[in-house]
Amino acid sequence: MNQKNKAEISRRSFLQVTAGAIMLSGISLPESANAAKSEGLATIIDLSLCDGCVNRKIPVCVSICKEINKNKIPLPVEPIPEPWPRKMIEDWSKKQEVFDRLTPYNFIYVHRAEVNFAGRKKTIYVPRRCMHCENPPCATICPFSANHKFKNGAVVINQNQCFGGAKCRDVCPWEIPQRQSGVGIYLHVLPGFMGNGVMYKCDLCLDRINQGQLPGCIEACPREALLIGAKKVIQAVTLERVRRMKGYIYGMEQNGGTSTLYISPVPFEEINKTMTKKSGQPDMKMDVPRRMAGTDPLGKMVLTAPVLGLAAAGAAGAWNWFSRRKEKMNKKEGENG
Amino acid sequence: MAEKILAQKNLVVRHSTVELIEHWAIAVSGLVLLMTGIFELPVAKRYYIITIPGLGWTADFITSLYLHYSAALVFTAAAVFHVVYHTARGEFGLLPRKGDFSASIAVIKSMFGFGEEPPMPKYLPEQRLAYAGMAFSILMLIISGLVKTYKNIYAPDISHTVVLWATWIHNIFFVLFFLAFLAHMAAIALKPNWPLVRGIFTGRVRLDYARHRHPLWLADIEQKSGGTEIDKTGQAAGVETQQENAPSTREKRR
Repeated sequence: MNQKNKAEISRRSFLQVTAGAIMLSGISLPESANAAKSEGLATIIDLSLCDGCVNRKIPVCVSICKEINKNKIPLPVEPIPEPWPRKMIEDWSKKQEVFDRLTPYNFIYVHRAEVNFAGRKKTIYVPRRCMHCENPPCATICPFSANHKFKNGAVVINQNQCFGGAKCRDVCPWEIPQRQSGVGIYLHVLPGFMGNGVMYKCDLCLDRINQGQLPGCIEACPREALLIGAKKVIQAVTLERVRRMKGYIYGMEQNGGTSTLYISPVPFEEINKTMTKKSGQPDMKMDVPRRMAGTDPLGKMVLTAPVLGLAAAGAAGAWNWFSRRKEKMNKKEGENG
Repeated sequence: MAEKILAQKNLVVRHSTVELIEHWAIAVSGLVLLMTGIFELPVAKRYYIITIPGLGWTADFITSLYLHYSAALVFTAAAVFHVVYHTARGEFGLLPRKGDFSASIAVIKSMFGFGEEPPMPKYLPEQRLAYAGMAFSILMLIISGLVKTYKNIYAPDISHTVVLWATWIHNIFFVLFFLAFLAHMAAIALKPNWPLVRGIFTGRVRLDYARHRHPLWLADIEQKSGGTEIDKTGQAAGVETQQENAPSTREKRR
């Protein structure tokens, strides 16, 4: 079956999906470009289906992603301006072929995990990319709003607005975004003192979704291990699959919830044991709080601050009025003897 | 009316306690906002600020956000209070008036020895202009900051156009507010303005200074009070002293 036909069938079957069908089927759930425009999307990465494309040099999801994004990054200037005072240049332009970690030229990679679980050895392949969080700190805290979460759930860095300060990487629990120095708007401002390139990461193939296409990795996966659809549907399918395989979920709660739901037949604690968090290679620890959640109560108080100011002015005004009245009465009493 | 001449002590009450609280609430929270706003940029690590003892936290954007929100709460409430409270009391002395721009130039020239400073009311023309600029910057910072806060908490997927407007307004007025703060500090550094510094800490300025520089203000106080405040302080000798110090005012009062 060629990819075009497969995608058409996927779309058709998506439109036919009902809650009953979801419960009954182990279907590969597709997506709908229409859904993308009006409601949030989510994706499933089913580790019980992913075989890491072991018979290929590069997993298909990785190679298609590279192909789609190969012309995305302009050529870095030569020489790349040296940032001051911390001289840290990140240049991947001469290592574009790297595919075993996240780089500005590689938005997805597949981790191989040898797991001992229930007395059996098992090999699990874990595609890793941006999780597209529900409330992504990388986007909300970007000082230039170059990084933004769209209505369909895609968290996207606009490379024409990003200064490459890497703040998004610092606040991402998985440190997903990767920097390419020597490109971007910072070159036209104060390249030595402000900014250091552009941050890159998976954008869920937003352009393709807007054109009614599937994200490259999802369309190309030969085992339909990666799926996309309306969030509610994807969540229902995830729960059903996990129930049936007595499996485990990752991404539902982490960092306050994400739009990427991993399904695994082995606990993620076991998978995480095989991962050492390194630059461009995130781990999968279970306890990933959304740190900004702690600031929310204070932020809500800030939103009510105008009312507080108004109330305080009213109280002060009332105090003044009573004081003046009392003063007048005292004066009157004094005059009357 | 808080303004009062305390002739025996050679002082004039220039600011009420409420005004002092307003000023310092805005000033301290504004300074915290400026600092933590800078630390919301990725500068602390790059510029080794984290190596300065006590500033290790500056590279943690979430810690800075806690502080930024805390200061924003005070800043916003104080700004709204200021507008509502003084509008309700009909106090508009800080709003710019016609001719303030040319008058400001005359005042600044006089500070450097060119010409005489004309008699002033409570606020100098450049103070009124600076107030308008600062107030507009604060208004823009508050509106854009509230949009950003709402986005952070409730709507990370709010329209990107709205977010970009709010962000860039916030960033541009952050720079303007910072420059306004520097200008405010520079104004304090000028010798003719030194007597006013005491006023923003204690609420009072020297009467002889006020007679010399703000005779229109004193005339206004005396007119409103009908001289009762002066009488209360038992200042017969004080008035004499003042008159010696402020011949121009004596002329006016006659």
